[in-house]
Amino acid sequence: FLICVAIRANYPLYIRSVPTQGELKFHYTVHTSLDVVEEKISGVGKALADQRELYLGLLYPTEDYKVYGYVTNSKVKFVIVVDSSNTSLRDNEIRSMFRKLHNSFTDVMCNPFYNPGDPIQSKAFDSIVSTMMVQAC
Amino acid sequence: MSVPDYMQCAEDHQTVVVVVQPMGIVPEDQFFRIYKRIASVSQVSIRDSQRVLFIRFRHHYPPENNEWGDFQTHRKVVGLISVTSCTTAKEWPQTSDRFHGQKEVFGSTLYDSRLLVFGLQGEVAEQQRTDVAFYPSYDDCPDVEKRVEDFVESIFIVLESKRLDRATDKSGDKIQMLCVPFEKKDFVGLDTDSRHYKKRCQGRMRKHVGDLCLQAGMLQDALVHYHMAVELLRSVNDFLWLGAALEGLCSASVIFHYPGGTAGKSGARKPSVSSAADAGKRHRPGALTSSGISADTSAEIGRAKNCLSQEDIIEKYKEAISYYGKYKSAGVIELEACIKAVRVLAIQKRAMEASEFLQNAVYINLGQLSEEEKIQRYSVLSELYELIGFQRKSAFFKRVAAMQCVAPTIPEPGWKACYKLLLETLPGYSLSLDPKDFSKGTHRGWAAVQLRLLHELVYASRRMGNPGLSVRHLSFLLQTMLDFLSDQEKKEVTQSLENYTSKCPGGMEVISLPDGLKLSPVPFTKLPIVRSVSLLNLPVSLRPHKVKGLLGQGLSSASPFIYSPITMHSRGDERSKKIDFQWVQGDVCEVQLMVYNPMPFELRVENMGLLTSGVDFESLPAALSLPAESGLYPVTLVGVPRTAGNITINGYHTSVFGVSSDCLLEGLVGVKSSGCMVEVVPSLPRLQLCTSLPRFTHFSSSEYKINLSTSVSLQLFNGETQQLTITLENIGTETLNTLELTSKTLSTKEKLFGEFLTWDLQDALSHLPLKSGQSVSIPVNISAKLDFSGQESLLNDLNDDGISVTGLPVSSPLRQVLKPRTENKPVGSDASKNEFNHVKTLEAVLTFKYSGGAGQVEGYYRELSLGVRVDVEPSVFFTRVSTLPATSTRQCHLLLDVFNSTEHELTLSAKNNQDLVLHASECQRMAIQVDKLDFDSMPVTDHDALRQATVRQQEEKRQQVQGGLINSTLDIHWTIISFTERHGEASVEGVLNQLILEHLQLAPLQWDVVVNGKPCDCDVIADCRVGDAVPLEVKLTNRSKSAVGPFSLTIVPFQDYQNGVQNYDLQDAVTFIGSNTFYIGTVNPTENSVCVGALLFLYTGDFYLNIKFQDDSTARDLPPAWFCLPSVHIKAQEPVEL
Repeated sequence: FLICVAIRANYPLYIRSVPTQGELKFHYTVHTSLDVVEEKISGVGKALADQRELYLGLLYPTEDYKVYGYVTNSKVKFVIVVDSSNTSLRDNEIRSMFRKLHNSFTDVMCNPFYNPGDPIQSKAFDSIVSTMMVQAC
Repeated sequence: MSVPDYMQCAEDHQTVVVVVQPMGIVPEDQFFRIYKRIASVSQVSIRDSQRVLFIRFRHHYPPENNEWGDFQTHRKVVGLISVTSCTTAKEWPQTSDRFHGQKEVFGSTLYDSRLLVFGLQGEVAEQQRTDVAFYPSYDDCPDVEKRVEDFVESIFIVLESKRLDRATDKSGDKIQMLCVPFEKKDFVGLDTDSRHYKKRCQGRMRKHVGDLCLQAGMLQDALVHYHMAVELLRSVNDFLWLGAALEGLCSASVIFHYPGGTAGKSGARKPSVSSAADAGKRHRPGALTSSGISADTSAEIGRAKNCLSQEDIIEKYKEAISYYGKYKSAGVIELEACIKAVRVLAIQKRAMEASEFLQNAVYINLGQLSEEEKIQRYSVLSELYELIGFQRKSAFFKRVAAMQCVAPTIPEPGWKACYKLLLETLPGYSLSLDPKDFSKGTHRGWAAVQLRLLHELVYASRRMGNPGLSVRHLSFLLQTMLDFLSDQEKKEVTQSLENYTSKCPGGMEVISLPDGLKLSPVPFTKLPIVRSVSLLNLPVSLRPHKVKGLLGQGLSSASPFIYSPITMHSRGDERSKKIDFQWVQGDVCEVQLMVYNPMPFELRVENMGLLTSGVDFESLPAALSLPAESGLYPVTLVGVPRTAGNITINGYHTSVFGVSSDCLLEGLVGVKSSGCMVEVVPSLPRLQLCTSLPRFTHFSSSEYKINLSTSVSLQLFNGETQQLTITLENIGTETLNTLELTSKTLSTKEKLFGEFLTWDLQDALSHLPLKSGQSVSIPVNISAKLDFSGQESLLNDLNDDGISVTGLPVSSPLRQVLKPRTENKPVGSDASKNEFNHVKTLEAVLTFKYSGGAGQVEGYYRELSLGVRVDVEPSVFFTRVSTLPATSTRQCHLLLDVFNSTEHELTLSAKNNQDLVLHASECQRMAIQVDKLDFDSMPVTDHDALRQATVRQQEEKRQQVQGGLINSTLDIHWTIISFTERHGEASVEGVLNQLILEHLQLAPLQWDVVVNGKPCDCDVIADCRVGDAVPLEVKLTNRSKSAVGPFSLTIVPFQDYQNGVQNYDLQDAVTFIGSNTFYIGTVNPTENSVCVGALLFLYTGDFYLNIKFQDDSTARDLPPAWFCLPSVHIKAQEPVEL
């Protein structure tokens, strides 16, 4: 399983999961993980406001999934949920996936026709996520 | 031990448990009243010491938990208060027995017990017993608190004695082995003499003493004991108890660090006791020693050394929990420790670590839990997550708890509890049930999750047996989540909504839940979506008009400036802006909404009406059916204002899927509105107009078209007159008091002669006032008299040399006036040649102004306009006009070439003339003898008008008047033979020009010739006798404005042989008596001059007299037509025989 979400102001701009069944469960998982993300941001923010590590690491492990988080400087959050049994994905891979997502998201934001706050419908973004999902699974 | 206490917190370690139980039949509410009073004594300051004993009262306590009392003394039940009702003394022994039985349950651990008896009076109640208190009733027990305090003190004494007992026990060689229930079997056959065992016993005992110290309020001692216990137990790897000792250490430290408590709202500690300064004083070593009870050596050790730092507390908690984790049976202890740690962390604001503890707590398996316990567990988890600020996680667990309430395994699902819990999850999913929060822009959030939650709310409320609630929630779902629903879901949701509303229609009232939550109504502003709201003006014929000239009319006092570039414009004002038209009381008014249906199926909107304020308004609801995903669809809502004043359209109400909703415009997004306030004027009468002619819709003048209530059309031949009967019926409720009629001929290039529309209103006015339902008729004559000289353009073509037939140069300004303007004429000779077959159109508007009722008082009236369109077909044309002098100088012949341009045969008649029959397209000359006219004697109409007009206009006007005069004298009529009723006039006005007019004009010098006493003119033959002297008198009357003369006249007689030969040689036949030349001196205006002579005829015969002017220079500057003297015909006869 792998889910990618881009979140801004705590509502999702983009959410996609493979496989698609049981999507609601993932919604719950990601939604609750935002608590941790917020906590982490506020915690780190005090110490190092400028030079913050964007990658938040493992947000919390559940029995079945690992939830990773990433926050851009403009407080856009990315969350990736992977299957716990998937051992091929190490921290470094997740990190690079986030970086890719971030780059692609930046491209989306650069689109003058994109209205910030709207759901992302960019095909380019979609395809990046797709390739990542294929690689991961 | 299987029942965890989820409410536990660290400071509970210093409390003692007292169970308060009802015995026998005690009314629940009474019991809880007493219980509350008892529980208010939660902390008691002990006399003679500064220590405080904290009590946890429980009305229910599982005995299994009590068995763990040795492990952690705060789990031990040390006191029992029984509450019982006892009405007669007879029951008393039995009650007493039962009390003893109840004591047995916690017997092993109880320090003391009390029995509160209510209702017993008399002998038995008199007895003084320390363990029993008698009260006459539940309401009459003033000293319950006092009793409880005494009781607590007695418990304290036992506790203190136990503590001292145990604390000094260490000297004894045999220490009792304390153990938890599940350990008991492990110790069977263990070597009790080993060092290891002894140490274990020591350690456990130390820990136990620590617990007791803590409970007895000796924090420092407790810390010391715990430290010692930790060391001892660590060395023997007694993990469970090591954990307990560590936890005790933590608890004591927490109590020290956070005197305010960690339990939040549930820990209701009195602040006076728990303030930090107070706590410090309380635990001062000096104070402790002075109390005289304890002289523990360890008290000297600095408390800072013993007390754990804030970080250490967490570390130790972690350690303790990891030790507990080694024992499956200690799950409850572990769980509770986790919860306590989380509470501490929450205070420390270390949410991340707290969440780790909680995560751990989630995975602690407590074996088979009852459903109720599960619910409790999830609720507590949720609460704790909320405590550390994890709203979403909290909401998640709350939802799980809610679902647990209605798990299928539960025989009686608690839908109410489920619903209540679900409601509490709403903030966590950032969902508010107020639709107003969703009205701003597109909805943003976790739609999938929110949708699920809403569905669950709907279901739960339905199962709760509150269909009103489920309707409300479902409407909310539909309204706010519409964008996220698939087509299939939309269908399902609406279907179920319709099912629910069939039982319980949804309304606009606020639903209040028992716990105080108010569910505001959900107006379906998206079903359908309204895009614009515009108030419509009344139909033109019903619009009220204000009578001009009334005081204060049209004066806006908003600004002292006539014009200011600073507009008083602000964004918010648009809606409240007043619209510049008015509605009328009692008349149907309309508001147009542009709506569209976002649903994938047909949307039936019922009972759609307006919401208004300011004026009594009777809304006439409409039902509409919008096709699936319709585009913008206009909907007109109507209503009748019942009173006058300013009305504001606030919104509209609908009923969709059985849910009626009031949608206020101010809450709607993206609604265009040009203002919602309009004035309603008092009621006015209404007139309905019908005419004798067919209706006609294609009125050409577009600017008037919109204002016309109705219009008629008819076809007339040029010069024809037809009558139009207009019937006005008062269809309103008010009485019609005034009626005015005006007409306006629309600007046309055609020159129109005479009045186009004429009417007589007198008859109609006599019927006023016109009551409701009555009607009145007004006859209007329509006469079309256009230029009959349509041929002129043709003539122009024939006379390109610029000289018209009548010899007047084209450049003459007068001629220009007569001619239709050349630039308006169709270009091309073909078109102009056919002009006389061309149908011309005349248009006019008849306007009725009427008023009555209350509106009239306010100065309003209504206008009803009738458009009249007349297609004028040409009838006859005068293609050429000329004059011939008649025999009489007072008359002349007018020669008219008349062309019949109709397709019918017609007869033409003029005054004193025989009928002339003209076939279609035939042209004939018609000669009419006319008396010359004296234009100067005509009354000059309006001096003011003349003065203002330009010379040219004066001239035109004059000519028009002259033309009219000529026309009335000519009185030319035509009749189409095939339709006898079609007849009309033909006017020569247009064809007359200056020259002809001059011909027709009577000369200003009037000459009268009187022969033989008889005035002579052309056709009059004067008789005379041969040989008689014939007196001849010539009289000149000057009607011109200046003096004329002198003139000299010569009379020349001649004989006409009627064959062209005129014989002037008549010296033999006629002789003058006197001179044949007359002299007339200067004649002043309006005067006359007469000269007399005589003739003598010598032979019989017909003689003519030609009166000639002598060539005189003075006469030369006067026009020759002025010297037109009649010729005189005299017949000389045989003298009568005497």
